[in-house]
Amino acid sequence: MKFTFFIGCNIPTRVQQYELAARAVSKSLGIELVDNPDFKCCGNPIRNTDQQTFLLMAARNLALAEKQGLDMMVLCKCCFGSLKKAAHFMAQNPQAQADINSHLSKENLNYSGTIEIKHFLSVLYHDIGIKTIKETITQPFKKLNIATHYGCHALRPSDVTQFDDPVAPVLFDALVKVTGAKSIDWPLKLECCGAPMYGIMDSLSMDLTQKKLADGLGAGADYLCVACPYCQMQFDNVQSQMMSHNKHKHNLSSIVYPQLLGIAMGLSGDELGLGQNILDISNIESFLE
Amino acid sequence: MFYNTATYIALAIFTVGLIYKMAGWFRFSIDMQNKTRTPQASSRILMAIKGIITTLFSPKILILIRVFIEDVLVQMRILKEDTLRWLMHMLIFAGFMFLLFTHALDKFIFTSLFNKFYLTLNPFLLIAGLMVITGVAISLYRRLILKVPRLKTTAIDYYALIILAIIILSGITMELTKLTSYEYYQTIWIIHISACLFGLAYLPFSKMLHIFTTPLSLLTNAAMDEKSIQENIKTRQIMELDACTRCGTCSNRCSVAVAFDHLGNKNILPSERMEFLKAYYTDKNIGPKGLAAIQQGIYLCTNCDRCTVVCPAGINLKELWFNIREEMIGHNQLVELILTPFSYYRGLQVSRFDAKQYNKPLAITWEKITDPYKLLRQPDDTIPLTPKNQEFKKSVGLSPQAKTNAYCFTCENCSTVCPVVENYEDPQKDLDLLPHQIMRSMGLGIKDLAMGSKMLWSCLTCYQCQEHCPQGVKVTDILYELKNLCANEAKQGIKTEKQNNCE
Repeated sequence: MKFTFFIGCNIPTRVQQYELAARAVSKSLGIELVDNPDFKCCGNPIRNTDQQTFLLMAARNLALAEKQGLDMMVLCKCCFGSLKKAAHFMAQNPQAQADINSHLSKENLNYSGTIEIKHFLSVLYHDIGIKTIKETITQPFKKLNIATHYGCHALRPSDVTQFDDPVAPVLFDALVKVTGAKSIDWPLKLECCGAPMYGIMDSLSMDLTQKKLADGLGAGADYLCVACPYCQMQFDNVQSQMMSHNKHKHNLSSIVYPQLLGIAMGLSGDELGLGQNILDISNIESFLE
Repeated sequence: MFYNTATYIALAIFTVGLIYKMAGWFRFSIDMQNKTRTPQASSRILMAIKGIITTLFSPKILILIRVFIEDVLVQMRILKEDTLRWLMHMLIFAGFMFLLFTHALDKFIFTSLFNKFYLTLNPFLLIAGLMVITGVAISLYRRLILKVPRLKTTAIDYYALIILAIIILSGITMELTKLTSYEYYQTIWIIHISACLFGLAYLPFSKMLHIFTTPLSLLTNAAMDEKSIQENIKTRQIMELDACTRCGTCSNRCSVAVAFDHLGNKNILPSERMEFLKAYYTDKNIGPKGLAAIQQGIYLCTNCDRCTVVCPAGINLKELWFNIREEMIGHNQLVELILTPFSYYRGLQVSRFDAKQYNKPLAITWEKITDPYKLLRQPDDTIPLTPKNQEFKKSVGLSPQAKTNAYCFTCENCSTVCPVVENYEDPQKDLDLLPHQIMRSMGLGIKDLAMGSKMLWSCLTCYQCQEHCPQGVKVTDILYELKNLCANEAKQGIKTEKQNNCE
């Protein structure tokens, strides 16, 4: 199984542990990841003010993947949503696609819509399968309560992303359960982490984050589990900022999914970048059987 | 006589030029917002000396030796990017350095050490000369025929290549004519010596200054981090502007370079921003048009740090951007990109700001983005039933997804599931309008309501509203389109404002 690997902008500089762990876990599961140094920003940040530029930025990456002849595996849910949206938009608007292609032709690129864009979790769930993953678990967790955070841009709009059922998703829960951990029910499971408004209206952003953290703790979670760099930065970097400001007393550390899976697979802490999280997660190993 | 006088004059100009350049490193500073707190040049010189001495007598010397070998001599950073470019640079670098030490400075260095080898050296001189010429030829090939992406060629680059070519070609011709024609030899000798001395005298003002500044940038950046003495960081940042050769590596790797292809604002490209900075730090008068362009260029950045990772001169570009970003958005002007996820990085860096400095650009942009749409801020005005703004109604109904607003029957599902609305005790007080009201304003063609609410720019884009709309209204996508329209109008507004100011 072979994918071209889309890492995005945030992961290589601010959430390196996600990339490390995803590569380690993929290797163990036989997923071959091909790097493409020409991939650039997915376009998501500029959607608010300039959709044309957004489309071009997203489409260029898709065209590069097409040139490689490989389906794309995306780590970031905002990148995933953005690329999916662009692909969907062009499929519905042939004229827009032609305009984009006339731009791309300057770089000898062309997008025709022949590749699939998949999020990392979808690859694990659909292409590898829970059964195969289960066989690789060497040290399952016990009595570990995980608040599984789905992330908006993978889940919705469901007609575009086609990730899972937008109201009652099961994919991420199943992937958490296979590690032996319990994926708890918590009311705000499908809500936004708050990241999109951070840096723009910090009070709103932190209010939403705080609600989620309180909700997860109230439901008995030991850790949050995410699969998106923005969600991770919000629950890790921003939560630690909130704690240092004393505005906020909760502490619910967040672990990136491949870290959780990797521990249960018996991979070493260094391979999974466990020490790179800002809020300490080392205690999670005490939940191993 | 001519030779000696000319040499001393050239050396004098070179020395004065170098001192003038170096003085600039200590006199200026990039983060001009804190100008009042910028320390005196004299104290910065002392700090630099202190920094150099403490580094040389610390374990960091080992790092410096490694960087000197890997990045200065072997130039691994260039090799990693592009083999042909490395070959080109290595031919020029190795050939030129060989000629410099064994030929130009032979009296001082080479003959004093190995005086018996002078005669046998001639073939080596020829080989070194040919190496440089081959390097120059490869460079011209890359620039003119291969047209390497994002490699801009200007007069500065041509000057560097031409002076090198004249020095080497005249040198080779001179050696070849030495035995055949003395007259011819004398003429060529004058050309050769004049070119060398001109090159030397003009060096501090030309691209060739990078012979000194690029290794200096590589070494200082290897030894320094953000905890280093603040004065030295300021000094290094100005010095780095002289270390940039505008090789285009950063722009080639830049995550948002595609936006430049579409928007045509060259300030989006990091290497072009370096050019801007070189002019800006001495003359801050850039005019409103220049300001808007640099604001967009500096803010349209995902802070992926790729430019810093790949820079062959080891320049800490990300810190330069950090400083200049604050300088540029601190003006009393709307920067619509502040209301996008590009701001996330700035939020993560909040501890580096004082609260006032952090909040000012945000507050100004929030105020100005809703300012043109007066209706919401005049609650006593009654909304006229007619005429509706038909033109607006048409303009927002252009895209297939925006047309879906017509299906809205105001069930308020979107506003009920919206986590932003839910966050406020009295959402209408904080957000002006709720999502369903924005949808209806579009249906009624009331532009001020559709575009002027804080709700519009507080949208998380979490797509709860769109997912839960029983009528299939693409609520989030429509909010995106309205934000686009708003941003466009804001830009137009800035333009007309500027035109008025210019008149």
